[in-house]
Amino acid sequence: MGVLCSRVRLEEKRIFQALREREVPFERIDARQLTFALGRNGSNDGRCAMSNLQSAIPFDVVIIRCLSQTRGLCASRLLEGQGVITVNSFRALKTCGDKVLTTMALKEHGVPTPHTAVAFSQQTALATMDAFGYPLVIKPPIGSWGRLMAKVNDREAAEAVVEHKRALDADEPVYVQDYVAKPGRDIRTLVVGDETVYAVYRHSSHWITNTARGGKTSICPMTAEIDRISRAAARAVGGEIVAVDLLEAPNGQLLVNEVNHTPEFHGAVEATDANVADRIVDYILACIET
Amino acid sequence: MTIGILGSRIRLEEKLLLEALRERGVSVERIDSRKLAFELSRNGSDDGHSPISNLQSAIPVDAVLVRCLSHSRAYYLTRWLEGMGVPAVSPHPAIATCGDKMLTSAALQEAGLPIPRTRVAFTPDAALGVIEQMGYPVVLKPLFGSWGRLLARINDRHAAEAVLEHKKRLGNYIHGVFYIQEYVDKPGRDIRTFVVGDDTVGYETIAAIYRSSDHWITNTARGGEAANCPITPAIDRISCAAVRAVGGGMVAVDLLEDADGQLLVSEVNHTPEFRNSIDTTGVDIPGRIIDYVVEVAMDGKSGR
Repeated sequence: MGVLCSRVRLEEKRIFQALREREVPFERIDARQLTFALGRNGSNDGRCAMSNLQSAIPFDVVIIRCLSQTRGLCASRLLEGQGVITVNSFRALKTCGDKVLTTMALKEHGVPTPHTAVAFSQQTALATMDAFGYPLVIKPPIGSWGRLMAKVNDREAAEAVVEHKRALDADEPVYVQDYVAKPGRDIRTLVVGDETVYAVYRHSSHWITNTARGGKTSICPMTAEIDRISRAAARAVGGEIVAVDLLEAPNGQLLVNEVNHTPEFHGAVEATDANVADRIVDYILACIET
Repeated sequence: MTIGILGSRIRLEEKLLLEALRERGVSVERIDSRKLAFELSRNGSDDGHSPISNLQSAIPVDAVLVRCLSHSRAYYLTRWLEGMGVPAVSPHPAIATCGDKMLTSAALQEAGLPIPRTRVAFTPDAALGVIEQMGYPVVLKPLFGSWGRLLARINDRHAAEAVLEHKKRLGNYIHGVFYIQEYVDKPGRDIRTFVVGDDTVGYETIAAIYRSSDHWITNTARGGEAANCPITPAIDRISCAAVRAVGGGMVAVDLLEDADGQLLVSEVNHTPEFRNSIDTTGVDIPGRIIDYVVEVAMDGKSGR
C-alpha cells in the first residue's frame, strides 16, 4: 500500500499507525519528489513508470492524501493508468474537486442540494442572482477551506464580487447557490465504503463553518436520514472515503452542500471516538481481497 | 433536425460551419455561452424571461457542435448538455482529455500510440531533476493552453532554472504540474490532421496539412505556413487511433516526424481552427464536420 501525501498531518500519522498495527507493508510517497515517465524510451510496455520511490514495491493500492488538488488528480490518473487502485479514484477526485461537477452528479442521482446555477458572464451571473433573490452564496468551482466563498446580501455586493472574480479569472464560471439559513451549524459526516462512520456538528457564529476557519465540532446523533443521504452523496460522486457536508434547511430538510475527497478527521475523532483510520485501512484491505 | 452551435465569438470557422448547415437545409440554433446560465438543481419555472435556461425544453437541438474558445465553458456546458441527453461533438470526456496535456498523454500512451518522451513532476526541484536526467533540449508546456502560449524550449540548465522559477512565481494551479517533453528534432515542420469519428459511425481523417516554420513552434496562429499533406495510411491510422483514444468527436491531431521518420502524436486539440487548411487541402473541412455532426444527431434520434 502507498500513501501519497506531501505534508504528514495527524490524519496521515493515524493511517500509518493503523497500517503498522495490521502489519501491512506500506510506503509513504512524497508527492513533492514523485515524477512519472511516459512516452517512448521511458518504458515500452505501455505503462508509465513511477520514479524516485525508495523501493520498487508494486503498489496494490495508493491512498491519495495530497493537500494539493492538482497533484492528487494528476497522480491518481497516472497510477490508475498503470493498474494501481487509488482511493479515492480519479473520477471521485475530479468530481469532488469541482463544485459544478459535484452538484451535477448529486442532481443526476436525485440527492437534494441547495438551489444552484452556473453562469458564464458577468451579465448572466447578475441576472441569475436577481432571479434567485438575496442573500445567496458565490463559490469558486475549484477550491477548499472556505476560500473565496462569498455571501452576497444584495445587488451591490453581487456586482462587486462578480467584477472581482472576473478580474481574477475571466474564464471561471460563476457558481451561484441559495443561502441556506442554517441554525448556526452544519453537519459533517464521514463515509467509508458504504458506511457512515460518524456525524458531527460544526458550530460557528460565522456563516462559514469550516473547522479550518475556527468552527467547533460536537457529536451529532446519527439518524437514518443522515446516514441515507450521506451514503447516497458518496455513491453519486463515486467516493469511497469522503466527508459529506449537510445543511439543515429551515423546513428541516437535509441538503448536501459539498463532498470532500481528502477529509481531515482529527477534530471529529476527538468528538466521537470513532476509529477512523482503522475503518479506512480495513475498508481498503477488504477492497484488495476482493 | 436542429443542430446547436455552442460558442460565443463567431470567427471565420463558425461562419463557414453555419454556411455548411444552411446549404444542407439543417436548422441552426446558436447557443451563446456568454448569454447562458444553467440551473443545476430544482426545476425553476421557465417562463422564457428567466436567464436560467433549461436548454432541452427551451431549445430542442438534436446535437451540439462545441466551438467555445474557453476550455472551461466548453467542458462544463458539454457535460451539462450530455447529462440532459443531447449528444455533443466533441463529447465531454474528449474535451476534458484534449484540454489537459497530461490527460492526453496518458490516454494516448494507454492506447499504445507513440508519443514523445514525457515526464510529469510536481515541484520545480523535482522538475529540474528529471530535466537533467533527460538531457537538453527539452520542452516545457503548460497543461492547459493553446496557440503555442507559454511553450518553452529549454536548451541548458540556466534556462531550466529561469523558466521553472517563473512558473513557480506564476503560482496558478495550472503551473503546479510540470509537464516536460523531449524536444523532437522535426524537419522544420509538423503535421496537423483533422479527424472525426466515434465507435458507432467509425473514424476518418478528413484532411492533413504540413505546418512549416523557421521557429520551432509551428502553429499557424504564430506564423507557421500551411501546405497540403497527403494522407498516407500511416498518418490516417495514427490520427484515427488518436481521436479514438481521447474519446471521439472532431479534433485536430498534431504529429511530429522524428529523425527516423517515425510519427509521434504531440497533441490533440478540440475546437481547432481550420481557415488556413481549406484552400490548402482542397477539402471542404466545414462541410465534412457538419456531415459528421448530422450523423451523430441521426444516431442520437434513433436512440443509439
